[in-house]
Amino acid sequence: MTATETITTTRDATAIDLPWNVVVHDDPVNLMGYVTLVLMKVLGYPEQQAMALMMEVHQAGKSVVWSGQRERAEFHAHQLQAHQLKTTLEKSR
Amino acid sequence: MKIMPTLDGGLRIEFEDESDWRLLGGVIDDAVSCDRTLAERLGASVGGPEVADDWLEFVVPELERSFEAGLARVGRALKSARLDAAGVAGFLWIRRADALHWYGALNQARLTLEEIHRFGSSEDVDVEDLPPSRRAPFLRSQFYCAVQSLLLEHAMG
Repeated sequence: MTATETITTTRDATAIDLPWNVVVHDDPVNLMGYVTLVLMKVLGYPEQQAMALMMEVHQAGKSVVWSGQRERAEFHAHQLQAHQLKTTLEKSR
Repeated sequence: MKIMPTLDGGLRIEFEDESDWRLLGGVIDDAVSCDRTLAERLGASVGGPEVADDWLEFVVPELERSFEAGLARVGRALKSARLDAAGVAGFLWIRRADALHWYGALNQARLTLEEIHRFGSSEDVDVEDLPPSRRAPFLRSQFYCAVQSLLLEHAMG
């Protein structure tokens, strides 16, 4: 009679989860004042911060308007799309 | 057509003839004039495969319902104002509470016209150079934009 021995090893690994970026893209339709208003309403930013991000969208073509946990990022992207802003999600590098 | 701000923070639109009703009523037709809905267009490029499938399955249908509801609300307001009008002249009030719905409907129309005609920045467009098939949609988009600006200035701040 032969016996088969099974050896089980376990290994723990911990890694920092990378944050997700919510990115708003420029388009020729959405008005600058509206984009500012939506960033204030959806993300709770003060007017000056929202306006600075809107200007970045306008001048650079896009802006990371929020970074953090995936579920929150998805929630914010959903809200921004509901306000008809072209919004994407990307994992930070 | 005359559009003026009201004391309670809304807008009052005065229609003078049939063409005025047709002009503003065009927002509903323009908003749904593309093969792909706005929700599909917004959802198509949300991100990589990690999120795209869930987005298309769960978020896009919800956006679609929300955009359709916004258009239906504006359509009902226009229809009701038209019924109340004496002859062709009539009025429509956009209350402050409804301003975002109106803005959204006008935006849907403009985004859809842009998707179809690719006008780009309006500052770079010379109306005289546009063929008639693109001139009319461009001018409608500019009109919707003017109403949006009034809404932003007087009813949404």
